[in-house]
Amino acid sequence: MKELFPLKQVNGFVFSLLLTVVALSVYFMDMSFSLGMTILLVTAFIQAIVQFVLFMHAGETDDKRTIYTTLYYSALIALVTIFGSLLAMVWDM
Amino acid sequence: MKIDHSQPLEYSTHKNEMNILGFWIFLGAEIMLFATLFTSYFIYENRVGNGPSGAEIFEITPVLIETVVLLTSSFTIGLAINAMRLNRPKAMLWFLGITLILGATFLSVEIYEFVHYYHVGATLQTSAFTGILLTTLGTHGAHVTFGLFWGIAIFLQIKKHGLTPETANKSFNYSLYWHFLDVMWIFIFSFIYLKGMM
Amino acid sequence: MEFFERFAIPHPDPMIYASMVAIVLVSIAIVAGLTYFKKWGYLWDEWLTTTDHKRIGIMYLISALIMLFRGGADAVMMRVQLSSPEMEFLNAQHYNEVFTTHGVVMIFFMAMPFVIGLMNYIVPLQIGARDVAFPRLNALSFWLFFAGAMLFNISFVIGGSPDAGWTNYFPLASNEFSQSVGVNYYMWALQISGIGTLMTGINFIVTIFRMRAPGMKLMKMPLFTWSALITNVIIVFAFPVLTVALLMGTFDRQFGTSFFATGNGGMDMYWANLFWVWGHPEVYILILPAFGIYSEIISTFSERNLYGYKSMVASMVLISLLSFFVWVHHFFTMGQGALTNSIFSITTMAIAIPTGIKIFNWLLTMWKGKIRFTVPMLYSVAFIPLFTVGGVTGVMLAMASADYQYHNTMFLVAHFHNTIIPGVVYAMLAGLTYWWPKMFGFILNERIGKWAFWFNVVGFVLAFFPMYITGLDGQARRMYTYSESTGFGPLNMLSFAGAGLMAIAFILIAYNIFYSIKNSPRNVGDDPWNARSLEWATHNPVPEYNFAITPEVNSSQALWDHKKKSHTLFKGKIDKIHMPNNSGIPIIMAGILFVFGFSFVFSIWPAVIIAAIAFFSCMLYSSFENDHGRYISAEEVKETEEKFGGAKK
Repeated sequence: MKELFPLKQVNGFVFSLLLTVVALSVYFMDMSFSLGMTILLVTAFIQAIVQFVLFMHAGETDDKRTIYTTLYYSALIALVTIFGSLLAMVWDM
Repeated sequence: MKIDHSQPLEYSTHKNEMNILGFWIFLGAEIMLFATLFTSYFIYENRVGNGPSGAEIFEITPVLIETVVLLTSSFTIGLAINAMRLNRPKAMLWFLGITLILGATFLSVEIYEFVHYYHVGATLQTSAFTGILLTTLGTHGAHVTFGLFWGIAIFLQIKKHGLTPETANKSFNYSLYWHFLDVMWIFIFSFIYLKGMM
Repeated sequence: MEFFERFAIPHPDPMIYASMVAIVLVSIAIVAGLTYFKKWGYLWDEWLTTTDHKRIGIMYLISALIMLFRGGADAVMMRVQLSSPEMEFLNAQHYNEVFTTHGVVMIFFMAMPFVIGLMNYIVPLQIGARDVAFPRLNALSFWLFFAGAMLFNISFVIGGSPDAGWTNYFPLASNEFSQSVGVNYYMWALQISGIGTLMTGINFIVTIFRMRAPGMKLMKMPLFTWSALITNVIIVFAFPVLTVALLMGTFDRQFGTSFFATGNGGMDMYWANLFWVWGHPEVYILILPAFGIYSEIISTFSERNLYGYKSMVASMVLISLLSFFVWVHHFFTMGQGALTNSIFSITTMAIAIPTGIKIFNWLLTMWKGKIRFTVPMLYSVAFIPLFTVGGVTGVMLAMASADYQYHNTMFLVAHFHNTIIPGVVYAMLAGLTYWWPKMFGFILNERIGKWAFWFNVVGFVLAFFPMYITGLDGQARRMYTYSESTGFGPLNMLSFAGAGLMAIAFILIAYNIFYSIKNSPRNVGDDPWNARSLEWATHNPVPEYNFAITPEVNSSQALWDHKKKSHTLFKGKIDKIHMPNNSGIPIIMAGILFVFGFSFVFSIWPAVIIAAIAFFSCMLYSSFENDHGRYISAEEVKETEEKFGGAKK
């Protein structure tokens, strides 16, 4: 039975629940917008990394480099798209 | 088909390795799909017209239930793959089954949430904000729905054929898909709901 | 009857009725011909269900050529209408429809399939692979593209063409200003073919990463393969943006959302933003494979190594990244502040640097080379100066403040045609001519080809250079007519003459294909151009398994090394070969999506739902299907090799 619940996965799960609780603090506690956003950004990206690395085994094969490049590339372009669009359409309009 | 027994079953043929790599690249495209939806959401976030704003319609309870349920399902699909690698198909099917039930639970709560939005007058047509909110959530929900059917298909195939290089490969890709939906939900949870209710 | 009224054309015109008759007659002729010659079985078994990358490539190329003529006819109609002031050949609405379909057809249904078709045929051969990574997915990609193209092309006879420009800006594209179903067609045709393109992207990235011949490291890939890799990376990350934009547009038009409306919180400008987030990378999706083709051709016909291989690769990688950083330059005048415009102005100009590096590399490749002026080489040589003019005017347009003068004028039209025609179209013609003997075993007639080339180049210069001048003088794009007092008349007449010459060029190219099928000698050998890369190392035309023995290489010019340095390409002996089976699923799925798209365009919901269920049933069916492919036995391979003139060393 024990081998069906490896420590790595259980720890990952507990950790992700913890991150959710930390993120929830922005709802239950009174804080400034920028502090709240910082907390959300940090917790969300750590969650994503936990999932990709621990659960999805992104780095376990020879294709490691290709897979990580895909992820970095898409994350970079996603951020450029989000912030570029906000710049052009909202902040600098 | 050459089978390499030193590798886990899902990687055991060249074809299988390519399937997994291809699926990762597909997930890269999915990241861009959701990034575009997020971009649109941020653009329209404050453009509520005559409709309600996020703070007025979001409810923390269903959102929390959805989050915990989906996180747990992501955990159980991970356990399913672990069981698969231990070559324990029965345990694997249990974990897969639990994942599917959790997925269906998530979907029910989300449908409840949508009905709630409808009742408080936040529909696709109300304003650009409610439109993009429902489109983004709906796209995620559609992915989950597709995932449920896909999961059932895999469940049946493993029941029929046992763990073969093909079924193991499909299950692994399926687990990637399911974890990915969880990641996207975390971003929805953080930057749509929590940001909106802050 | 009321049900059928929606299919009527909103703006009837004798020319449209004539096309309707022509379409019906041609369709009847095709069906009758296939039945009479009993070719249905052949067509189904050998082509419609094929998963062979070579046949799929050829089907892409045929579709692209047909669409070239469709888009070309639109272009000629526009030039006729503008040839003199107050012309009454097309009315305003019809002109809107014609420039819209010209743009969409040329970009999505001509240039894209041309590029992808050549990639399909050549890339697996260049890397020494048996097929692509996912052959059945490849077939599905093609049929989705084809379904999208057909859906788009029937718009002008059923329900009306889109009329809001290929960029389809809102609010012009909204229900209020574009009342026919035309824009719905735009949304679904592009959506369906776009999904196909996305799958091509994934397929080729995996193919290039995982199926290269032993010894072919990434930095030893031929440049066309490199360009294909980079292009597909851009496809994978750019096309999802289009998917979302089209979805939002569909919602606006058919479900009453207000994303791109002017009230209710909507923002019409956001369509432009999303469109160009996808649209600018799309430009590089088209031009990078062209760069790859020119690199192959210039190196082959100069009989020299490509100069600066590493810088060529690096500049392509840089371009692919930069292409996602520049999109705002398409709407400098939309009202965002100076900061934004400056940022995007600088990133845009930065692209000129890697592109400039490539231009110098090509020039230096030719330097001291033994140049042979064949048709492909002529196009490549003409490309360099003409494209440079296009690039320099691009830098002019990149200057945000100056752009206020150029924006939406014929100057812009001249600029992008100046990059797309010498850049993409010439590359496709050059590539097609260059690889023609690879595909069909004979060379296209060089004399006719050269005539076509000169008509093309002279026609191009005459047609588009005058637009720079009229544009600077203030002739706006997309205006269906102008008054005599503007003085635009003579230069537009010149453009019209140029368009006529280009039309002759394309007719000559078509004629050349027929002429060469009949008259060209078939004994050209396996390496007619004295080429350098691996695709020429196998037989001509290529057997279905590509290479009897997987080649082993140690440079980007494997064949050249084989010829000059007596490098042995094919070690080992012939073994059985694993091949994918044919499958009818892709074409059936695409057919279902066609019905889905068509019903969606006209909001026929029961049919939409049935088609959606049918589509997912097909997916489920193929999930449960166990298809392990088949083997060609070693004896059969040996027999085939003998038939093709003996095994390769």
